[in-house]
Amino acid sequence: MNYDRAKLLDRLAAEYVFGTMSARVRSRFNAIQRALPAAREAVHAWEQRLTPLARSIPPEKPSAAAWKAIERKIGGNASPSFASTWLAWLKPMLGVAFGVVATLGLIRLYPTAIMPIDDIVQERGTLPASYVGLLTDEANKPVVLASSTRHGSIMSIKILRKVELPTGKVLQLWALPPDGEPFPLGVVPAEGKSTFRMTDTSEKLLSKVSRLAVSIEDAPAGAGAKPAAYVLTGNCVKLW
Amino acid sequence: MSSITLASADLKQLLARVALGDRTAFRRLYDATAPSLFGVALRIVRQRDRAEEVLQDAFVNAWNRAAGYQAALSQPMTWLTAIVRNRALDELRSGARHVAESLDEEEDSDASAIEDTQPGPLGLLEQAADALAIRDCLDSIDGSQRQCLALVYYHGLSHSEVAAHVGSPIGSVKVWLRRGLDKLKRCLGATSE
Repeated sequence: MNYDRAKLLDRLAAEYVFGTMSARVRSRFNAIQRALPAAREAVHAWEQRLTPLARSIPPEKPSAAAWKAIERKIGGNASPSFASTWLAWLKPMLGVAFGVVATLGLIRLYPTAIMPIDDIVQERGTLPASYVGLLTDEANKPVVLASSTRHGSIMSIKILRKVELPTGKVLQLWALPPDGEPFPLGVVPAEGKSTFRMTDTSEKLLSKVSRLAVSIEDAPAGAGAKPAAYVLTGNCVKLW
Repeated sequence: MSSITLASADLKQLLARVALGDRTAFRRLYDATAPSLFGVALRIVRQRDRAEEVLQDAFVNAWNRAAGYQAALSQPMTWLTAIVRNRALDELRSGARHVAESLDEEEDSDASAIEDTQPGPLGLLEQAADALAIRDCLDSIDGSQRQCLALVYYHGLSHSEVAAHVGSPIGSVKVWLRRGLDKLKRCLGATSE
């Protein structure tokens, strides 16, 4: 790696981990990290270096409500934290854009670094391998965008158009293999974004799946369950 | 704390099970680490309710990302602490805008909250240095630099907040911090970790 760029990334990583960056710069450097493995490595090295300093902080007992809230948030119908949704969502969909934004961000932060970082975009010029599904309604309007990285097990959902869902019902996402029974993947929200953890990696579950569908169910479907009528369907494609 | 180091192998086991979606393991991981991590968050965001939100988000994040945890690259506590610190710093920085727009009294109360927390940031840095056997190296760092480093690391103070706290121009604070970090890097690089 270019020495000047390595030095610059080391300095930015130090400021990021140490905590002196402003919100604006932190968010830009987060984008840079998503696009650049070298930036992540620099941050990792500083985390390893500085974290032992945190051990002198006296422990404090959080309230019992904290665990209950966590439990609720990781539950089947939970809405995950904004940060995790945001990350999980952006990673597969905006790899190239991040490469470009990260480069521009780095240049804006440190204009003198323009020359050394010319190869930044080259380092991450393609979208990461992912499975992407776009589900449409009867009028063929796009409603649900589902994506997950090839070897990951987190499915990110973005609802493009709010779904009218009767109270007490859930929207169940199904994988439809060409030569087998549909199997449930997880529950999607009626609007907004969410993520859920699948029972295995996308590669294991979806490598032979070319169609996805959503049905309205009384409760989240377990293994072996049969779907009600589909309200949304769409193709599932490999992004690599 | 030594108990964390001793439990590191156990925490790795727990994280491996959390990666498979094991909620019982997740609860055990929480019980074993939440107090330390809550302490970290509380120092930075300075309010219990905000610190609990940080803790919650960090654990949900850990649950979602456990499959990506690489035991060979990072100790579990290092990995978890980084998640908590990042979330806490994001929370603090997002709140900083509101503080800047609010009344001066509020900022004063933040400053006094730092003074009230025992041990203070410099004390924590010195304790950590003792535990890591780098106290001599730390003591070789200029006193103002040391104080700036401690205020930033333990309380997440920004450049301007540190400048106000120590009563020095922001330019000097930036230089102190840059130099202090370089020296601290050398001190920490000399440890076995």
